[in-house]
Amino acid sequence: MMVSSSVKTPVTVIGGFLGAGKTTYLNRLLRSDSGRYAVLVNDFGAVNIDAALIAAHDGETMTLANGCVCCSIGSGFLDTLGRILDDGTTFDHIIIEASGVGDPWRIAEIALVEPSLRLNAVIVLADASRIVTLLDDSRVGDTVRGQFERADLVLLTKVDLLDRVAVDSARSTVSALRPGVAVVETTEHTLPGLPDGAFRPASRFAATDADLTDHEHDFRRWSYSRSGAFDLDALADAFKALPPQLLRLKGACRIADEAMPLLLQMVGQDWALTAMPDGMAAEHDILLVGVGTDALPDTSALDAILDAALISPTSVTTADINRRQTAFTL
Amino acid sequence: MSQDTVVFSARKIVTMNPSRPVATHVAVREGRIVAVGSFDEIAALTGGRVDGRFKDKVLLPGFVEGHSHIMEGMMWSLPYVGAFDRRSPEGKVVKGVPTIDAIVERLQEAEKAMTDPDAPLFAWGFDPLHIGSVLLTRQDLDRVSTTRPIMVVHASFHISNVNTLVLQRAELDRTTNISGVVMGTDGEPSGEVQGIAARFRVFRVLGTNPLSGNLTADDVNRYASSCCVQGVTTVTDLHNDLADLTVEVYRAASRRDDFSVRLVPAMASVSHSPEQGVAKIKALRASNNDKLHYGIVKLVVDGSIQGFTARLRWPGYHNGAPNGLWYIAPEELPSIVAAYHEAGIQLHIHTNGDEATEVALDAVEAAQTATPRPDHRHTLQHCQMADAAQFKRMKTLGMCVNLFANHVYYWGDSHYDLTMGPERANRLDATGTALRIGVPFAIHSDAPVTPLSPLFTAWCAVNRVTSSGRVLGKGTEALTVQQALNAITIDAAYTLKLDHVVGSIETGKYADFVVLDTDPLEVAPETIKDINIWGTVVGGHVREAPRA
Repeated sequence: MMVSSSVKTPVTVIGGFLGAGKTTYLNRLLRSDSGRYAVLVNDFGAVNIDAALIAAHDGETMTLANGCVCCSIGSGFLDTLGRILDDGTTFDHIIIEASGVGDPWRIAEIALVEPSLRLNAVIVLADASRIVTLLDDSRVGDTVRGQFERADLVLLTKVDLLDRVAVDSARSTVSALRPGVAVVETTEHTLPGLPDGAFRPASRFAATDADLTDHEHDFRRWSYSRSGAFDLDALADAFKALPPQLLRLKGACRIADEAMPLLLQMVGQDWALTAMPDGMAAEHDILLVGVGTDALPDTSALDAILDAALISPTSVTTADINRRQTAFTL
Repeated sequence: MSQDTVVFSARKIVTMNPSRPVATHVAVREGRIVAVGSFDEIAALTGGRVDGRFKDKVLLPGFVEGHSHIMEGMMWSLPYVGAFDRRSPEGKVVKGVPTIDAIVERLQEAEKAMTDPDAPLFAWGFDPLHIGSVLLTRQDLDRVSTTRPIMVVHASFHISNVNTLVLQRAELDRTTNISGVVMGTDGEPSGEVQGIAARFRVFRVLGTNPLSGNLTADDVNRYASSCCVQGVTTVTDLHNDLADLTVEVYRAASRRDDFSVRLVPAMASVSHSPEQGVAKIKALRASNNDKLHYGIVKLVVDGSIQGFTARLRWPGYHNGAPNGLWYIAPEELPSIVAAYHEAGIQLHIHTNGDEATEVALDAVEAAQTATPRPDHRHTLQHCQMADAAQFKRMKTLGMCVNLFANHVYYWGDSHYDLTMGPERANRLDATGTALRIGVPFAIHSDAPVTPLSPLFTAWCAVNRVTSSGRVLGKGTEALTVQQALNAITIDAAYTLKLDHVVGSIETGKYADFVVLDTDPLEVAPETIKDINIWGTVVGGHVREAPRA
């Protein structure tokens, strides 16, 4: 089992086809002054950072006045990321811009296997004026479609350049690709900050758009508590059976033959079990808290899916679920 | 005439100059050819010293490898575990290891020879397609060592196998749920790792990546030595970021008198914006010397066919696999091509699948329409699936093509059964079509993906036989030996815009020869790959190939 280091740097991957607005979004994040970010751009010479933000420029690495670092890395992407992890500087967040034809999930997987990192979110941008055409394109349609496959959040960009009918068409096309995934309409001036791990738009979201505000209420929670233990293989099957409307699941998870409960972290269909961090000793064998969209099925249906993976008869405990929830800060 | 002139006499000189196809004597001064002809013709002209050491040998122009990589020189510092025999830079035939047991045995030998007990053991060249799709597992590698990290890099360079120790150190286990960590039948990772994330993690715990290490003089010397062993006197390094350190290593090597190959590095477009790239090429050109030729740029549009990452036109892969990956977006390619085209720079564009080829043709057509440029010679590299219509467009656009003839032997069976099906596999690397339509073409190895050996590459284009013995499209696509020799000498030089200085034995060109025991034009075409190569002459310097 993976033994986790105590402090993990969150990683957010920004994907989307050429022209979706990734660089504009990066500039928005770097301007926000809400943290010390390391930004990696997995493409050649494409970092077009506002000159006003740049304090020093050394070859392909730029240091910004607010302490952020920004690298354009082309083919040396992995070497550069390795150097950033090794050189001792701590960042509040690592933001990686995938290339316009790249699959952002392939990069996001780094944060699932590198113990010093945790995956915060995969955000995929879609140019509202082009996304319908791009998805139908015989040459790049499959590439574009693939970029959304593991998105946690979709930003529909440049909506102010279109009428309502066109925006709705773009929104419904994207929603049809990934039912249940939040789609946020944005303009150059209303791009949101980084979401927290639950994809609840954080306070720094520029909530000027009525539609965006609506989406803040679009999340539902689910708590699951049992004594006993899961069979690992059965649990893997159960996770596959969970509905896509469940965005995240996290908490203590006892596995048969393991002495101590482990920490489960699941994002979309991807999950990892790691040792419980210090100071988070579990009082219960199994206590999981999930976040889903407003279309999340009833908790009894969800409970039944996980119950099928238990190895011994169990009973629902009377633990104070609310108190425990805070410990996991979803 | 000058006493510095040396006249090499040979049993036969095959010049590849159609105006004077055959000779017996070649006079050399200051590294260049002064005259070619018979003894009488030459002696009267030059009065130089006659060097008769090749009197029983056959000289051809030194071979030109138009698509290979410096990684061939880097790899030979590591043990080879491919299924087929391969010749090392020391001239030794390293036997193929076509079973798991033989691979393990090869690795055990290498492990025993290592002095540092903690150093990782890397090996290269493995391809499960070549040993009946048998997989190499962590348990196999654990038989080599449970205390030393081991990594076997596949021939494709995209997939690796590691032992259990590496998995443990990387903390990859049954709970790891990412696409690049392949699980075995026991539910634990099998040891096969691929993709960005798994590679990143594994190389971090190994502390080193032999594929991205800094280039050293030893690597370049091994590459040059392999060239001598294989009769190559002009060689490409067809995808390189050309970092300052690499440029310095190349500069130092190429200025040594005993450095025995002309290097043609291609700048990787992926590491530069087009504006930066154009400026960099212009600066690098200023540092060219007679053995170092900067000036070309490489673009990679798609992936590989046998890895199912090439972009194919409808109906796609024969076995129904989903279409491959774009490495450059189709809509971005035209602006990149236009930037280099307008700057007068020659492009070498990797397209394996025919959809990628189509996109590249569209981009060059747009650039040619916007800025007509005579003799640009933009060259499609690999271009393995092009049909006659695409070759006709190449012809119309003034393009060249460098076809991957070695694929017929190494992956022809996979293409027949899995990737393309019989019809398209028979047209794989369509040298015959290129010839009929009149597109200037070369053939290549893509070393280290397949072995550096132009005579073998010529043999593939002449015989079109796969490793299982199946013959693919020989009646329509095979070359004659003469045509194949053109494609590894003067025509390969043409694709590099170096045919005015190398590629044939004629007055004024560099004195670059391959010295053979036998004339390829006089032996059975099935045996041209077996002709013994004595060595090379580069700029008049004679170098006998090492024989280990």
